[in-house]
Amino acid sequence: MTTLPPMIHVVDDDESLRTALLRLLGAAGFEARGYASTGDFLLQPPPDRPGCLLLDVRMPGPSGLDLQATLRCQSNPLPVVFLTGYADVTASVRAMKAGAVDFLTKPVEREALFEALQRALDRDAAQRVARAEAERLRAAFAALTPRERAVFDRIVAGQINKQIADTLGIAERTVKLQRAQLMAKLGANSAAELGRLAERLQHLPD
Amino acid sequence: MGFVVACCFLLVSPALAGETQHVLVLYSNHRLLPANLEFEAGLRETLADSTELSAEFLNYPRFDGASYIRALALFLNEKYARRPPGVLVAAGEESLDFLLRHRAELFPRIPMVHGAVARSFLSSLPPLPADVVGVPIEYDFPGTIDLALRWHPRARRLVVVTGSSAQDHAWEAKLRGEILQFQGRVTVEFLVGLPTDAILKRLSELGSDAVVFTPGYFEDGVGRQFSPREAARLMAAAAAPVYGPFDTFMGTGIVGGSMPNFAAMGRQAGEIANALLAGVTPTALRLPEIMLPTANFDWRQVRRWDIDANAIPGDAIAWFKEPTFLEAHRNEAIMAAAVFLLQAGLIAWLLVERRRRRLANLAVQQQRFELAHAARLAVAGELTGAIAHEINQPLGAILSNADTADLLLTSGVDRRDELRAILADIRRDDLRASAVIQRLRALLAKHAVERQPFDLNGAVREMEPVLQPEARRRGVALEVRPAATAAPLVGDRVQIQQVLLNLVLNALDAVNGLPEARRTVAVSVERDADRVILVVRDCGHGIAPEHLPKLFDSFFSTKRRGMGLGLSIARTLVEVHGGRIRAESRLGEGAVFQAEWPVAGDAGSLGPA
Repeated sequence: MTTLPPMIHVVDDDESLRTALLRLLGAAGFEARGYASTGDFLLQPPPDRPGCLLLDVRMPGPSGLDLQATLRCQSNPLPVVFLTGYADVTASVRAMKAGAVDFLTKPVEREALFEALQRALDRDAAQRVARAEAERLRAAFAALTPRERAVFDRIVAGQINKQIADTLGIAERTVKLQRAQLMAKLGANSAAELGRLAERLQHLPD
Repeated sequence: MGFVVACCFLLVSPALAGETQHVLVLYSNHRLLPANLEFEAGLRETLADSTELSAEFLNYPRFDGASYIRALALFLNEKYARRPPGVLVAAGEESLDFLLRHRAELFPRIPMVHGAVARSFLSSLPPLPADVVGVPIEYDFPGTIDLALRWHPRARRLVVVTGSSAQDHAWEAKLRGEILQFQGRVTVEFLVGLPTDAILKRLSELGSDAVVFTPGYFEDGVGRQFSPREAARLMAAAAAPVYGPFDTFMGTGIVGGSMPNFAAMGRQAGEIANALLAGVTPTALRLPEIMLPTANFDWRQVRRWDIDANAIPGDAIAWFKEPTFLEAHRNEAIMAAAVFLLQAGLIAWLLVERRRRRLANLAVQQQRFELAHAARLAVAGELTGAIAHEINQPLGAILSNADTADLLLTSGVDRRDELRAILADIRRDDLRASAVIQRLRALLAKHAVERQPFDLNGAVREMEPVLQPEARRRGVALEVRPAATAAPLVGDRVQIQQVLLNLVLNALDAVNGLPEARRTVAVSVERDADRVILVVRDCGHGIAPEHLPKLFDSFFSTKRRGMGLGLSIARTLVEVHGGRIRAESRLGEGAVFQAEWPVAGDAGSLGPA
């Protein structure tokens, strides 16, 4: 999965500009694909590979902003760089608030475009790493037995082994065993580390 | 004079009042002598209407001699014995002389007035009796000659003509004495006692350096009898300016002279006679010493001899001055002038009004166009976003293509075909951007209003690149449907495009905020036999019925930020092109705006567009 090079999705209704952008990106060594409308893009769901969107704001049918909003609902949204013919303040503010990487104006300097796209790809990569990490964590957590889960909750809540044994009505030795097991499963070495894991689990995206 | 006489009436004797007054005037010469006629006219004019005037004539010098005089005296004696006059008037020197001699026997104790008697003659007589009064005259020979020389400053010769009778010789003698004062100024020649033919021949040979003075004559060198006036008339026909001392000469062709006025003498004598008849004592009369001569001139002669009008004294009496048209028809002229002026004034006023109205109309039209232009600029502000998008699109493509080419060249890989394709695209996009700018410029530039034939379909299509982006920006589906056949109009294409622009922007506003299905605006050009129609239809809320009548008025707007000028300007521009615009709407079902114009000329028969 991570072996695939990133793909840049260019959504612009202006064929001439789209072609030029695709050419430029191609010459600069990016892999890129063009779509004439937001509908086109949604109808041809891209393979799950790294990448980002280069999105025109105004297009017939749903606008670039509409597409951005739609994508945010997905589990793994691609970062968006807007490229607009006319930068009105309202649209740019809306786009940035919705998490756009950048809001560029046509005609755009090559460096600025590449820089923004690079940031988008970096963000995508970072998001992918974070997502993989969370996935791993979630999987590890899912592997805990109900008893281990109960022990984990109490360790994170700051109880010592004796208190946990009393609360759960089990032997303190059993607690120690299960603690060792769950730390091994979660790959943690200390109670403090477990605390940080718990924190991250709470903030994991769905 | 009148004053003097009026004072004298205080001395009137009541006894004489009521009786018929009788005045007898005795003239020296014959009855038709012009001087006598004028004198009598003056006399008659002055005497009261009730006063009886008798006239007698010595007929001197035609008739003379002791027996004639005796017979005449006898005749007068017989004639007036039963109707004696209350006052005698002696008109002329011979008459005065005769009456002085015979008054005692003919008209004893009857007071006498003399007129037309020269002072020089009086001084040759013994002092007059107290009851003989009058104002002497002075025949102003030197004054007349002086006048002639002043009016002809280039004259070098003065020719003096007299005759052969005793009177003529008396005048000659007088002249020879008075002429001395002019000797230095001109050469003086006397023509005395010549036959009239000889005189006229001599005069006709005179050059332009000569002036002629004559008192006329009674008898020429061959004994032919004349009146001085007749003699003057003959002489005045000569080729030199003739001057004479008697106002009876006026009209004979003489130029003029310094003259006693016989009519004035008659009036003077009449006034004295009135006083005497009224019983005023002759010695109580206060009379002027002399009747002053005045300059007289014949206007026609002044012009004939080209005399400088400035040399003529202001109090001179002008004879035969043809009244100018204004003088002759003063009242009519004033009326006509007044009417003319009034009419001219009226016409001028109307012209001025018309001009002002035309200027005002022009100014209004100019202002409308200015306003229309301002409105286009304002609309351009609204369209900025769409326009920028429309231009930046090709610019963005161009830049990206250029960057690509740069990258390709740097990479060193030979991808000539791709470069060629890139250049072709750059070229195409450049033209595309430039077309947008040109269209925009055509729309926004302040151009002179044109009157050219054009096709409404084309004009509408041209606006699509401006309208579509704006519709897109607002998320509105804009449908543009030209007519199937040509839609020829004559006028200013840009102004019609502005109408379209205003109507479409209004329609876009009307559907703003509606669900997507209703966010549609349709523009169509329609064409029937004699009309070209532009229709803009929207699916908005429609127009409230109460707003419909005011829709095209200036400053009527239902929009929060509207100026209320868009539709007003649209109507102006439609009407300037001879068309009309109207709106139809059902509340809740959208609105339809229709602008229609008569089909322009024969272009209507053009085939399908």
